[in-house]
Amino acid sequence: MSEITLTINGKTCAGHQGDSILHIAQANGITIPNLCAHEAVARYGACGMCVVEVAGNPKLVRSCSIDAADGMVIQTNTARTLQARKIAMELLMSDHEGDCVAPCSLSCPAGTDCQGYVKQIALGDDRKAVEIIKQKLPLPASIGRVCPHPCEKDCRRQYAEQAVSIAMLKQFAADNDLASAEPYRAALAAPTGKTVGVIGGGPGGLTAAYFLALAGHSVTIYDAMPKMGGMLRYGIPEYRLPKKVLDSEIAAIAAMGVTMKNDVKIGKDVAFDDLRKAHDATLVAIGAWKSSAIGCVGEELPGVLGGIDFLRAVALGGKPDIGKRVAVVGGGNTAMDACRTAVRLGAEEVYVVYRRTRNEMPAEDVEITEAMEEGVTFKFLTNPAEIIGKDGRAAAVKLQVMELGEPDASGRRSPVPVKDKFEYLDVDTVIGAIGQKVSPIGFEEIALNSRGIIAADEHTYRTSLEGVFAVGDATNKGASIAIEAIGEANRAAGVIDSYLKGAMAAFAEPFVSERAVTDAVKAMIAEKPKAARATMPQRAPEARKHDFAEINLGLAEEVARAEAKRCLECGCHDYHDCKLIECANLQEIHPERVAGEKHEGYVEQALGCIERNQNKCILCNLCVRTCDEVAGKAILGLVGRGFKTVIRPEFHDPAVIADCANCHKCADACPTGALKILK
Amino acid sequence: MKIVIGEGSCGIAAGAAKVYSALQSRITAQDEITLGVTGCIGMCYLEPIVDLYYEDGKLAHRLVRVSPSDADAILDAVRAGDASGIEKLIITKADEGFLSQQTRIVLRHCGVIDPTSIDAYLVEDGYKAVEKVFATMTPEQVIEEIKVSGLAGRGGAGFPTWFKWNAARSAKGETKYLICNADEGDPGAFMDRAVIESDPHSLIEGMLIGAYAIGAHEAVVYVRAEYPLAIVRLEEAFRQARARGYIGKNILGSGFDCEFRIKAGAGAFVCGEETALIESLEGKRGMPRLKPPFPANCGYNQLPSNINNVETFANVAWIILNGGAAYAKMGTENSKGTKVFALTGKINRGGLVEIPMGKTLREVIFDIGGGIRDGKQFKAVQMGGPSGGCIPASLLDTVIDYKALGATGAIMGSGGMVVMDETTCMVGMARFFLDFTTKESCGKCVHCRLGTKRLFEILTRIVEGEGKPGDIALLEELCTTVKDAALCGLGQTAPNPVLTTIRYFRDEYEAHIAGRCPAGECNALVRYDIVEDKCKGCTACVRVCPVKAITGAIKQPHSIDQNLCIKCGSCLTACKFDAVVKA
Amino acid sequence: MDCTCQTVNSDLSLLEPVLREYAEVPGSLITILQHAQETYGYLPIDVIYHVAARTGSTPAKVLGVATFYTQFRLKPVGKYLIMLCQGTACHVNGSQKIEKTIQEELGISDGETTPDGLFTLKNVACLGCCSLSPVMMINGETYGTLTPSKTLEILRGLKKEVEKA
Repeated sequence: MSEITLTINGKTCAGHQGDSILHIAQANGITIPNLCAHEAVARYGACGMCVVEVAGNPKLVRSCSIDAADGMVIQTNTARTLQARKIAMELLMSDHEGDCVAPCSLSCPAGTDCQGYVKQIALGDDRKAVEIIKQKLPLPASIGRVCPHPCEKDCRRQYAEQAVSIAMLKQFAADNDLASAEPYRAALAAPTGKTVGVIGGGPGGLTAAYFLALAGHSVTIYDAMPKMGGMLRYGIPEYRLPKKVLDSEIAAIAAMGVTMKNDVKIGKDVAFDDLRKAHDATLVAIGAWKSSAIGCVGEELPGVLGGIDFLRAVALGGKPDIGKRVAVVGGGNTAMDACRTAVRLGAEEVYVVYRRTRNEMPAEDVEITEAMEEGVTFKFLTNPAEIIGKDGRAAAVKLQVMELGEPDASGRRSPVPVKDKFEYLDVDTVIGAIGQKVSPIGFEEIALNSRGIIAADEHTYRTSLEGVFAVGDATNKGASIAIEAIGEANRAAGVIDSYLKGAMAAFAEPFVSERAVTDAVKAMIAEKPKAARATMPQRAPEARKHDFAEINLGLAEEVARAEAKRCLECGCHDYHDCKLIECANLQEIHPERVAGEKHEGYVEQALGCIERNQNKCILCNLCVRTCDEVAGKAILGLVGRGFKTVIRPEFHDPAVIADCANCHKCADACPTGALKILK
Repeated sequence: MKIVIGEGSCGIAAGAAKVYSALQSRITAQDEITLGVTGCIGMCYLEPIVDLYYEDGKLAHRLVRVSPSDADAILDAVRAGDASGIEKLIITKADEGFLSQQTRIVLRHCGVIDPTSIDAYLVEDGYKAVEKVFATMTPEQVIEEIKVSGLAGRGGAGFPTWFKWNAARSAKGETKYLICNADEGDPGAFMDRAVIESDPHSLIEGMLIGAYAIGAHEAVVYVRAEYPLAIVRLEEAFRQARARGYIGKNILGSGFDCEFRIKAGAGAFVCGEETALIESLEGKRGMPRLKPPFPANCGYNQLPSNINNVETFANVAWIILNGGAAYAKMGTENSKGTKVFALTGKINRGGLVEIPMGKTLREVIFDIGGGIRDGKQFKAVQMGGPSGGCIPASLLDTVIDYKALGATGAIMGSGGMVVMDETTCMVGMARFFLDFTTKESCGKCVHCRLGTKRLFEILTRIVEGEGKPGDIALLEELCTTVKDAALCGLGQTAPNPVLTTIRYFRDEYEAHIAGRCPAGECNALVRYDIVEDKCKGCTACVRVCPVKAITGAIKQPHSIDQNLCIKCGSCLTACKFDAVVKA
Repeated sequence: MDCTCQTVNSDLSLLEPVLREYAEVPGSLITILQHAQETYGYLPIDVIYHVAARTGSTPAKVLGVATFYTQFRLKPVGKYLIMLCQGTACHVNGSQKIEKTIQEELGISDGETTPDGLFTLKNVACLGCCSLSPVMMINGETYGTLTPSKTLEILRGLKKEVEKA
């Protein structure tokens, strides 16, 4: 065959007469997106992704299907080709129904691959599970214990009976790994010679340090407290997260070469500007360490404490004198931690004062239950109107009785005072656990948002200062859960890495397909064989309420393995190899604007070795063509016409299925997850 | 006297066969009357048509809208030689104008000769062009003559016929095919059917000349399955032509062989696209192939093939006999000869119209077609069917040629010309065509399979009163990209009805999104009510309501249950007291 | 998923003459299926298998062709096949109202057959009788210039005919 030369995107490319443009482009290292082309079968030209512009030809040309000619001048990424591809992808995704990623992963603020690690736990490979977790989250044993697990909220298993215990499984795998002879360690990239200063050694700072160190940068963490860990250490009581566990995970990060400097207060021990100049990039992850005020008369009295101040004092080894009667104001997890810590410090009457009802409480339900088990009394629908002092110290709380009114912006029914109805509670200590605030003292150069919180860009985590990034509770919306800060830190580490390499790339949420949870889907899941959710073995309330030893005992091996097997594996098996999702992420697409009827899909065991999910089929016809042209069988075929076309194996006829060579070449050729090889 | 009845499909549907039987059963042995049939003369709105001829073949009277009950009166008149008893049946001068203003080449024999008789064709210089070609012309000379004529493909694309013939002639290979595309799929065009039903030999003759020009010895006519009568007539014509030596080996002693056969389509608009047609001929799903390679080099059975449509072939014999120059004398700079249009819709005189290129739309619609029915206003004319567009009143003086029509956003197409008045909703019209293309899309390429579907869904949303701001821009974006990126002609032209209606009737789209259908056609945006004061309780509306949505006691005001009402408007028509109002 | 696996026992010998003529001729699948539909009234699944076997094709390919073209039916049709023209002229002259009327009267939509097996409604591409629009064809008989009430009259007339017989 004679040689030809063409110009693609300005590059001279050699090829042979009879080659397609696509073939020559790829052979010359130029990528043209495509879905339905395959060297093994005849040209087809259905997907419209590989379109290019050829000089002198007014039409878009399907590069997969057109012979290249000598001297052709081709552009692959013109406004016109990009538009054609964008619409092709929006149209394809508008008729593609499936979960690329399992809903648990999507719900996890850090995007941990829950399905991935749960699968490994089911298979008995805890080390592999930890490896998967640590791609997003370097503190699995700690977070497994404390995370309110938003992942479980969207677990589809709940439509069968209950969600999978994802957090408990994470703790299980991480504990086993830590206890193993050689816990998992990720390989570090070659040193880059760049240094990053991380201010704040909490979950955000530790996570950023982990990923930056992984990328080969030299990282130093500066923290104001005596030890690393931030709120995990100073905000979460020992009985929930033993500090020994946290220490091991921090030690693993230190072992990567991360320098950890404690007792460094910015603006006091070192000026922020000096620290910033000492590093190529700086990340501020200082958290929100100031208790919000209760906002009633008398709160300045001795005997009134802030929730996190109280917890920190205990964590530092102190024994605050709280007396016998303690009222904790608030309904979040900090309130629960505070009241249960008060119980453990020996208080005889511990109250939680909350202005709505249990249903509206932001604290995790299990924590409320555990607090009740430990003897805490809940005063629902009450709000402190005044803290009454006696002898210069808090002695009682006047409680305004409330009732629930109309739903507010958050959807929760808002509490309304009942006129002239009050209760009185005699107390020795009042602990206000109604929120945390940021105290950006020492960081005056960084611009704050209207709420007095550090403003960081949502996609780059950049602050107003060059080379200074910020994540976690100290930024934007303020305090949240640890896994939020971890997610931000992981993404910020990626941005900082790109910044240090000279081309800062904002984090872009990848486009994924999500399956609508219709009643039909719920009904289908409800038909699965039932298997009850594992429960965490715990110390009895009477035994545990007197000390700070961990109350959860961890899942037994057989329980954990069985629990992991409850996972429905909602995420697509093909996600990491899917050409479709790769194409969908080439440019920003919005399939929802062309939303319409979707194929009435179903999943079936189509042939001996193949499971077919018609919801995901994009009708590229590669399976049909492969079965015909490569396997020589032609037992798959197109049925119907136009939008209603589907791919069918024949009528579920055993004789025809028997004719299948089980070569699974069809599934190999499938550019998306519509065909799955059954093991 | 000879009585000839027009029996095209359309005439038969209107009752021509019943008229024929009525006459036949009444003609006695004593009558010196012969009864004959002809094809379609194209005056569809006057069907059934009965022509009375003198013995010398001169037309005595043309009777229109004849019913079987007129049979006795007709026969009495013929026997008596006195037409006074059937005067009301005789065509009016105005209606004669429908024909007299036309220039007929393609339709020259339609409705004139008996399509079932080769002799009738031979009398009209039939097969003389083939004789001339075999006796005096080389294939190259034939192609040259066609080139001089300026004949372009009448199926829609308007590609020069000589160029295709030349490409197929030049293609390497011993075996070549000549294919006639008679898969007339444009809803609203039926000239190809009329030609096959009314003058099948002119198609055969044109194809023979084409086969000779490109060197094909096998000719196939791919006919729509919905045209059973055309298939019957063509088969009969093949049989007769074969018997007379016009088909088969050594035709007319020329040494040239050519076999003909029919392939019946099975219902797929996309098979009008030539590569899909080829797939279908090969017995496969009619999914278009990529071009290049073009059929001229690699077509049917992967061999050189030439495909033209019926109307194109029907011009060929005339061109050979009269010369390409005579043909090229008609028309405009870039469009030569005549074109046949199927004039339908809200028009007074609907039927087949053949005119030289260069006439204006106004001349066709108003002079020949007699303007809009029921005294309504002309709103737009749809040309080119699902691939074409709607041309508004402001462009009525556009001349009919490929370029000028293309500039309006519509196309010449195969010749469908559907006229609309102010009661036709243009968004509904666009939706109608997208419904069609969505169903007819083969489903192969993404832009067409899903693009037409989504366009249809958005248009549906708009006519159902659920349009959103931004929908027009979205339609335009989708349309433009689908046109650009779809694989074949179907997808590349499918957005045209949307784009042209947005271009000329954007205000109607905006009105729908604002909750109003200016044409009053979109059910979701109109309602019928009964005005209590005006209603006499006559129950006329109750009787015509097909869904029993109207209730009320006799002589008491009635009311319409809006949940049941299907908004057919029957009550509005039935009410004699203007009590039913449409809003 | 429409079930295609129910057992049918068609008399395959009826197809022999057609198969003898066309089975070996390449590209004749559509022609064979047209004859088969004429013979059986529709394309039973066992016929599709049989045609595949006899033409050296596979059932997948034959089914692919049979479901691509609107002419072919995989299910039997009712006693009366209503072919409602969906041409442009019919649209402009109100075919939607006719369709709605038929749907309301018979309770079936495009492609469906009434439970009593009397009527099948099929929307078809242009029947080419544009000047008579809107048009429907029932068992070969054309009904033109339809109105909703005229349509009802026709349908009810057919029902009565059946009741009488």
